[in-house]
Amino acid sequence: MLSLMIPARISSALGLIALAAPQTARGEVDFAHEVVPLLQKHCVECHGGDESKGGFSLNDRGIFLDADVVELGKPQDSYLIELLRTDFEDERMPPPKKQADPLPEEEIRVFERWIAAGLPWEPGFSFAGDRYEAPLKPRRPELPAGPADAHPIDLLLGKWFEENGVEPPHPLDDSAFLRRVSFDLIGLPPTPEELAEFLSDDSPDKRQSAIHDLLGRHTDYADHWLTFWNDLLRNAYDGTGFITGGRTRITGWLYGALHTNRPYDEFVRELVAPGKEARGFIDGIQWRGEVNSSQTKAIQFSQNVSQVFLGINMKCASCHDSFVDQWKLEDAYSLAAIYSNEPLELHRCDKPTGEKALARWIYPELGDIDASAPRDERLKQLADLIVHPENGRTARTIVNRLWQRLMGRGIVDPVDAMDTEPWNVDLLDYLATRLVDEDYDLKAILELIVTSEIYQSRSVNVAEESKQGEFRGPVMKRLTAEQFVDAVSRVTGSWPQAPKGGKKGPQTLEVVAKARGLGKWEGPVRASLRGLDAFQAALGRPNRDQVVSTRPDLLSTLEAIHLANGPEFASMLREGAAALLATKKPADELVDHVYLAALGRRPDEGEKAVAVGMLGEGTAEEGLADFLWTVFVQPEFFYIQ
Amino acid sequence: MSDRNSSDWLDASRPDWSRREFLRRLAAGSAFTLAGGAPLLRAEDEVEHPAARADSCILIWMAGGMASPETFDPKAYLPFEVGTPVEKIISTFPAIDTSVDGLQISAGLPEIAKVMDRGTLIRSHVQPDLGSILHSRHQYHWHTGYVPPQTVAAPHIGAWMAKVLGPRNEVMPPFINIGQRLEGIGESQEIKAFTTGGFFGSEFAPFNLPYPEKAAEAVRPPDGMGPDRFARRYRALKQMLEHSPKGEGLSDYHQESMLRSLDAAHRLLGSPKRQAFDLAREKPEILEEYDTGRFGRGCLLARRLVEEGARFVEVTTEYVPFLHWDTHENGHKTYERLHAEIDRPIARLIRDLEERGMLDRTLVVIASEFSRDMMIEGVPGSTAKDQSRAKTDVIKEMKHYGLHRHFTGGSSVAMFGGGMKKGFVYGRTADERPCLAVENPVSITDLHASLFTAMGISPKTVFDIERRPFYATEDGKGKAVMDLFA
Repeated sequence: MLSLMIPARISSALGLIALAAPQTARGEVDFAHEVVPLLQKHCVECHGGDESKGGFSLNDRGIFLDADVVELGKPQDSYLIELLRTDFEDERMPPPKKQADPLPEEEIRVFERWIAAGLPWEPGFSFAGDRYEAPLKPRRPELPAGPADAHPIDLLLGKWFEENGVEPPHPLDDSAFLRRVSFDLIGLPPTPEELAEFLSDDSPDKRQSAIHDLLGRHTDYADHWLTFWNDLLRNAYDGTGFITGGRTRITGWLYGALHTNRPYDEFVRELVAPGKEARGFIDGIQWRGEVNSSQTKAIQFSQNVSQVFLGINMKCASCHDSFVDQWKLEDAYSLAAIYSNEPLELHRCDKPTGEKALARWIYPELGDIDASAPRDERLKQLADLIVHPENGRTARTIVNRLWQRLMGRGIVDPVDAMDTEPWNVDLLDYLATRLVDEDYDLKAILELIVTSEIYQSRSVNVAEESKQGEFRGPVMKRLTAEQFVDAVSRVTGSWPQAPKGGKKGPQTLEVVAKARGLGKWEGPVRASLRGLDAFQAALGRPNRDQVVSTRPDLLSTLEAIHLANGPEFASMLREGAAALLATKKPADELVDHVYLAALGRRPDEGEKAVAVGMLGEGTAEEGLADFLWTVFVQPEFFYIQ
Repeated sequence: MSDRNSSDWLDASRPDWSRREFLRRLAAGSAFTLAGGAPLLRAEDEVEHPAARADSCILIWMAGGMASPETFDPKAYLPFEVGTPVEKIISTFPAIDTSVDGLQISAGLPEIAKVMDRGTLIRSHVQPDLGSILHSRHQYHWHTGYVPPQTVAAPHIGAWMAKVLGPRNEVMPPFINIGQRLEGIGESQEIKAFTTGGFFGSEFAPFNLPYPEKAAEAVRPPDGMGPDRFARRYRALKQMLEHSPKGEGLSDYHQESMLRSLDAAHRLLGSPKRQAFDLAREKPEILEEYDTGRFGRGCLLARRLVEEGARFVEVTTEYVPFLHWDTHENGHKTYERLHAEIDRPIARLIRDLEERGMLDRTLVVIASEFSRDMMIEGVPGSTAKDQSRAKTDVIKEMKHYGLHRHFTGGSSVAMFGGGMKKGFVYGRTADERPCLAVENPVSITDLHASLFTAMGISPKTVFDIERRPFYATEDGKGKAVMDLFA
């Protein structure tokens, strides 16, 4: 890609400079004619564009200077010259593999003159190459023509499939649909009773009704989506930082917001300019001791607000101007300064620069922050800018996250790189404007997506090498640790209860009960409300020290060992088997029940024969526990098809 | 494609795509894998790995800050005496000779003294002052090479070795961590933060065995299930899958990978190799020689696992705040116990590896997050808070006698095998307080570069995570101390 693009950029730069010729006519060094060709010939392949081998990029002058390889005016003290001249082949640039001998002396002298002259650079010139520029404003795409009752997502995708010559996937049958949509909206598989009722219903809009019912189960919905938001907002029940009170939880606020389906604009406002209950998100983690300047609370604020709400990775820019996107050190610190109560000094690669950061918003076309206002006021102004009607980025970011959760892959992917080009701009922009039209109702967007034909299609088979290929349909999704553990409880009917003993339950359950409008905790405890135990950790639940927007989708060997012999899973299976035996169902009914509850189908004859055979081995509980295991570790159970 | 030129075939199948557009899409697609979870090895062809001097690494971790003047770098000894001003005390143990001429280590380590001619001793390892000294932060730094917190989850050096080198034996987890409990102890969350595969994911995470004597349980069928039933259960799963009407879906790589992992797990749990986890299979006299406690048994387990093909094993004396090496008072008495606990097993481990012809290809490293001093917290001039619990100017009772402050200005690291010189001492600390490293200081970054180099991993090895480079040693700048190698 570079070899295609760089020459075009260079030639335009040369054109520019030809006009500006008098600037370089001082006999010092001619950047365009002398330096650029050498950089291009020897350096750009590894240190320009998206490449930054050894962490060094020379895309523009600022980045070049940041690397500390030149002493302006002093070529003799410049590391760059040393690297060009050294006899140590391990260190020499260009590496001996690219160029056997050191550069010719006359070329090195050009670099020396360039450094001696203070590294003159054509303003605006960059080796960064063309980049997709994500639009900021909302955009309302025109929907392709189609029947009046056609689903807008399907209209958009119909056009896409046609234009790209891709065969749309096959529709999902009723039972697979109900399993998928239940897992996706409330995190649980349907019970055999729910499934039977759904299958026997012959009304044409039964899928819509089912979706509506699921979204109306506020408690189940909140229990499920709590996992997604806890990961994204780093809301851990236990973890680093708590030991010295350097961190607070937002569980009560978050659960309440999900339970009442708080509109997303309000949700964002309450997180960015929070009251007491939601402070934990912007306050981040105060780790003990001295921390790197890119991990202070103010910088965490900058990184987390931009990642979570805007899909911007400020982590690079927290240390130095980013090599991979447009964000600069100053941008990262401007956002940080909105949060900081103290004057904030810019640190480049952990070294103070002497400059003070000014509280500033990163998209000035939308407005700005009054840097002299008190902090709470600045935070309110920031919140207003994040949900500004002309800021399309916030809505695009969240609808893309929801699409990714439901379809297995984002319209922009990875979901935290919203400056990347979406594979379907119209679809992304449509969903984003629709969210605003729906008064920021996230459930409305979920409903919109799951009522589409494309959502209600069979997941496509993905071979590893084509994982990053074009969109062909929904991609299989791994059950989260929480979904897995809950589904096992749901199938066996054996749920963990709140720990008994003291008057008060664990802190999480107390605040959640309150958010549900209850005086005290009642009922079983779903996995998302329990602490991080070894089994959930083994199945991929993170410790929430960092923002996590997607979890690994493959099962590792260490995880498989936990499934094979982990004591936690073994005891779930034992207790589950005991609970099922207590129903006194005969063996073949038990097998049917487990298949229906776990997989949404009856076993075929061969499966049933194996299963019934297993129930006859050892004690009844052992046989049943082993049979349960063989169901729960099947990919058909573990992945949402 | 011979009858079409390359731009034709693209244009023919994708009328709207220019070649440039096509390449751009490919490039955009590659970012998915970069940040979508699995980090990509960046510029693999650019990094030249050194020739490996060792195939396995055993890290013997002296958790809590082992005082080098009381172990591998003894200074002038002053015996316990009420009334001695504490500023006069540097070492509370006399020095003893070792098998290396002119090299002395602390009394209490006679067996280790006899094997010092098999290895190299670094006496000038230094750590940065991270403000108030906190064990778990320094341990995080030592184990990952990066000062916490980091914006991405930094992998443990064992995870780096597992990731870059892979398992030595396909049924044996490549990264095994012995002796550290992760639940029910102080700072457990902070310990967990670096006891991890980091962004490499759980495939490269440590296989944790907090109790060596119970290690066999970790690779056995669950409680109450015999091997027959365990095997039957797995056979039944395979039969189920054969009968499954959803069989055609199994070609999806998610599912395939899941079945591969389940199979790998069952291969380990059904393999004779798992006997390596079972200390009960060791000869009683050998077990007894190692068995000075959990740590000693851990050393024996490490040897057994490396024999059967483990790549990286850490054995720790275990970090529990204020226990073991973490002496804030009563240091001398505690070190008497700890000497006895580590002396025999470490020496036996070195001899066992040697007798089995494995020492040359196994790198054994003994290290700690920092050293200790009687007077100085951090380094001279540090603002770190004094954390001694036995504050006094003169020795009044036994609990005052010992090194009770965290010292980051110079500590010892012993290394055996893996291409290291034999009977060699590198670096020096001052003989008078402050006992700073005064010759050839070795940072964590350069020490790691040396370990990685011994294992055949370039310190510049780099992976892309969230579109940013992340190196095996900080910023790829670690330089191996080549003087250490024979």
